[in-house]
Amino acid sequence: MDELPILDKFLRKSRKGRLTAESRVLRYKCEEELIMTELNSRTPPLPWWAAGMLLGLVQVLAIALVKPMGVSKQFVVADAKVIERVAPEYSENHPLLSDEQYKKFGYGWWFNIGIVLGACLAALHLRAWKVRTVSLWWKRNHDAPVLLRLIAGFCGGVLLLLGARLAHGCITGQFISGWTQLSLSAIPFTITLLGFGMLVAYLVYPKAPNRLRREE
Amino acid sequence: MFTPVAGLIMGVIFGASLVLTGLTNPDKIIGALRLKDFYAIRTVAVFLLVGMLGTLILDLFGAANFSIKPAVILTALIGGALLGTGLGLTGFGPATGLASAASGRLDALVTVIGMIFGAHVYILIYPSVVIPLERILNFGSVTLPQITGASSALWVVPIFAAGSLALFITRSREQQYDEQRMRAGDLGMNEVFPFPLSPKPILREKGLYLKSDCLNAAYVFRQWKNLLFVVMLLCLLLIQGSFWLVSTGQVDIAENSNTEAPAVPGADSIQADLAAAPAKESPSRWLFGFDVTFERLTSIVRIANIILVLTSVLYALIMYFGLGISFKGGLGGLAHICGALYMALIIFVLLLPWQNFFGSITMGATYTPGELARWCTTDIGDTLGMVLFYLRFTGYWALVMLLLLLAQLRSFRWARAIVR
Repeated sequence: MDELPILDKFLRKSRKGRLTAESRVLRYKCEEELIMTELNSRTPPLPWWAAGMLLGLVQVLAIALVKPMGVSKQFVVADAKVIERVAPEYSENHPLLSDEQYKKFGYGWWFNIGIVLGACLAALHLRAWKVRTVSLWWKRNHDAPVLLRLIAGFCGGVLLLLGARLAHGCITGQFISGWTQLSLSAIPFTITLLGFGMLVAYLVYPKAPNRLRREE
Repeated sequence: MFTPVAGLIMGVIFGASLVLTGLTNPDKIIGALRLKDFYAIRTVAVFLLVGMLGTLILDLFGAANFSIKPAVILTALIGGALLGTGLGLTGFGPATGLASAASGRLDALVTVIGMIFGAHVYILIYPSVVIPLERILNFGSVTLPQITGASSALWVVPIFAAGSLALFITRSREQQYDEQRMRAGDLGMNEVFPFPLSPKPILREKGLYLKSDCLNAAYVFRQWKNLLFVVMLLCLLLIQGSFWLVSTGQVDIAENSNTEAPAVPGADSIQADLAAAPAKESPSRWLFGFDVTFERLTSIVRIANIILVLTSVLYALIMYFGLGISFKGGLGGLAHICGALYMALIIFVLLLPWQNFFGSITMGATYTPGELARWCTTDIGDTLGMVLFYLRFTGYWALVMLLLLLAQLRSFRWARAIVR
């Protein structure tokens, strides 16, 4: 996608200032090609059934070994640790922080560190480790991509964790682990998760990238 | 001891499979939420079905460790709404956010930082807001089979059957599409042509072919170079961090090394190290889950030193190979890579612990723990000594850091020049 400006320069120089119909077609084709390449280069290496089975087996292994997977609690644990260090009295009197399970780094903490490690290794192995700031959908829908994306990312992050802790678990901990154990709390969680997710995605990303648009 | 290791291993497996399945890609998640791209939906559906069935089987054998969350309907609804908003806005969940931050997405990194803030907000509002909310509609930790009185098999088997059937019926179009792409050769880990605008290599013209080959090789080198850079950066930060921990008195220096240390700095550091190693464990403070003692710092610094020296050799070598490749393939950017190579060599020279070979005549940027202990425990009276002390440990380090950043910048320019 970053190559388009270069192409523009080339086209304008050859056509004296304006894009002719021909070169506009050429530009469209190139754009299409670029998006295809970008999408393909991000195509996951596994077909969906194999991917789902892999993840499912990981979950089963986790349940067999220790307990179902969960991610979001450890953010609170990390924060609690810092608070305990900075303001010990506050954390002593706090009903959540004085709880024993928020006071030590255990299985979940190392699980999160493992996620970071494993993802890094896998991305390197797939040759997909690349510094990126925006996604295709975002680029397609917003004019000033990078800064806005980062701001949205931050706000989204705050909402993500606040919601995850209110619901006692994030997507992994409540949605996936909840359904695999058939717990009651997963039902209301799923309803609002998908409802709001689709609504907000519809509002924030109204336009689809080219290739997907063509398939509609 | 078992729990952290198990957690780490499970985390590595889960993070790797998140990347392998492509769920870390926000485009996939947004495409799924907008019902345009069904890959993520199908993947998660299979994930759930396999997980359910596997858990049922584990349960039959009595090997399942359940951890059922309390079913507070109201907070689950509110939490789901907030989480859905965040998911629709960013395209990351907490787990996939972590994983894609680790695979190089800066927006995911910002999201992770946002999540830490979110955790803080949660802690702040917990006493006043969350506790009252959790009293409303709280059913406790129950599962669907417990409520309905039916066995869990009665739930799982129909859901599994219906889900598999639905996936099977709607499979055809997706599968055809997959097969098409498989035939086109871009589904697997096959080579993706790195620069989309450049013409496909023409086999008759050897020059072009060689060029594209060299480009591929340069990409591999660039990746390894970046990895090594990150490793070196981490090691340097570790070393500097442990220096500050010791020098500001956060960590008590073990007493043995104090008494037996020779007076001349750098004269006999190996002996001092040996003396420092069996030092008794001093009262500890935590840091990221570790109890930090001087003994542990010692081993950390040693390992970091080894890694640093080795990676700096590799770093310089990779620069050299990059130079060769861009020369051979006529890729351009020679000035940048030459500069980077030179700087990498200087880094390597500066990093070597010369004080171990030549006594106190010369010094390298890496220090041995014994040396640190000596410098910290000897009384530094005057300003000059103070300045020397910080110059030796921080100034030298900052010089190496600066050079490393410059080298990385130069080689980054090289990579960009190649792409042009």
